[in-house]
Amino acid sequence: MAQKSNKQKNNKARAFSSATKSEPKTNRSTTESQRELMRLQREREAREKKVRTGVTIGIVAVVVAGILAGLIWLIPALAAKKAAGSDPYALSIGSATAAVTVDIYQDFMCPYCGQFDRAQASDLAALVNAGTVKVDFHIMAFLDDSSNGTKYSTRAANAFVAVAQREPSKALAFNTALYQNQPPEGSNGLTDTEIADRARQAGVSDALASTFASMQKADFVSKSNQAAFDAGVKSTPTVKINGAAFKGDLYTAGTIKDAVAKAGPK
Amino acid sequence: MSGLLERAHTVRQSNVWIYTTMMLSACVSLLASFVLSVDAIELAKNPAANLACNINATISCGTVGISWQAHLLGFPNAYLGLMAEPVVITIAVASLAKVRFPRGFMLAAQVIYTLGLIFAYWLFYQAMFVIGALCPWCLLVTLSTTLVFASLTHVNLRDNNLFLPERAHEAARAGLRMGIDVLIVVLWLAAVVALVFAKYGLALFA
Repeated sequence: MAQKSNKQKNNKARAFSSATKSEPKTNRSTTESQRELMRLQREREAREKKVRTGVTIGIVAVVVAGILAGLIWLIPALAAKKAAGSDPYALSIGSATAAVTVDIYQDFMCPYCGQFDRAQASDLAALVNAGTVKVDFHIMAFLDDSSNGTKYSTRAANAFVAVAQREPSKALAFNTALYQNQPPEGSNGLTDTEIADRARQAGVSDALASTFASMQKADFVSKSNQAAFDAGVKSTPTVKINGAAFKGDLYTAGTIKDAVAKAGPK
Repeated sequence: MSGLLERAHTVRQSNVWIYTTMMLSACVSLLASFVLSVDAIELAKNPAANLACNINATISCGTVGISWQAHLLGFPNAYLGLMAEPVVITIAVASLAKVRFPRGFMLAAQVIYTLGLIFAYWLFYQAMFVIGALCPWCLLVTLSTTLVFASLTHVNLRDNNLFLPERAHEAARAGLRMGIDVLIVVLWLAAVVALVFAKYGLALFA
């Protein structure tokens, strides 16, 4: 008896799994119950097919929506970004939506760059903090020959690039720190330890400062240097305001601030 | 069109499809774990090592690799992938050759892999919101872990290796027949991608 009911259960289970296969007909009542089961099975399959179609539409909709979002938002945004900052070596500090962009081409061994920074740094920092100005630093290292073979320009630039990329909020302070008591052209420059110390004093994290000595950004620096020459920059500091070369007095406080006020906000 | 969809539906339910997906995903995961393990050794030798996958400030496996989260258990997380994924590959290949594993074995595999999935998404969360950088190989692990989990769960629900009661098992099978599992996976991955773009946007391409 137990065996028979087990067998029936098996038949039932098979009827569930496949309605099209013909089941062995043992007696009338089984056939009727099988018909009933098959009817239920067909109904269920029809229901499931409806849901399945809905699910398929849902999946296709999600994928299509994803692709459309990519086409509509991402591609124009990327194109705009490319048009705005076509120089991949520009290190942008400040709000991307700032009305005025100030480009600064500099070499940390260059005395006039130091003089420029000492005159303008506090104005620039205030303008960046106010969201009015975005500073694009273009790092150069053509004065590497002027530090008794220690390549101070590249070493300082390497540290600055790392800070500008990883901890941009500390970049202006670090830039200014490198120009305070700037080592004279022709000296050995600061040691790696001194560079890292100045970074820490400017608020750069110890984790980042301790990576400077491994010169991870040296390649970036040499490419950035070449890109600046390719762009026609002949001396440092070269300053551009919204793309136009600044021809005024670089070394008197307030001149950049005035030029920024004239250039924008539009 | 609907004929094609019905074919796709049938193929998706087949063992060949499920176990091939599992095998390929596990292979991808193993490869990514291997690269991450090698990178972990490189980073241990030199924390400032410039890895090929340091693309910009946002996409940087160096930043993620030196974080404490990257060796939560005292050794690089990727070693877990080196241990677990070959087991998944073995299960998938054996199953493709029609080996049937005991239910208890598959249940154990499900439990352990679920823990792995939770860990993978914990790491993803940490990278996204705490470390603030993404590493391409880790993202590949997140993706392939999700796919392995989906295919393993598919098999285990279908064959009731999870020892579900009759009704729950029947409901689960109905869900699988209707493709609800695929919908969940697609929505889930779409949400993950949307989250990455919402958080980092164009910084991904900087």
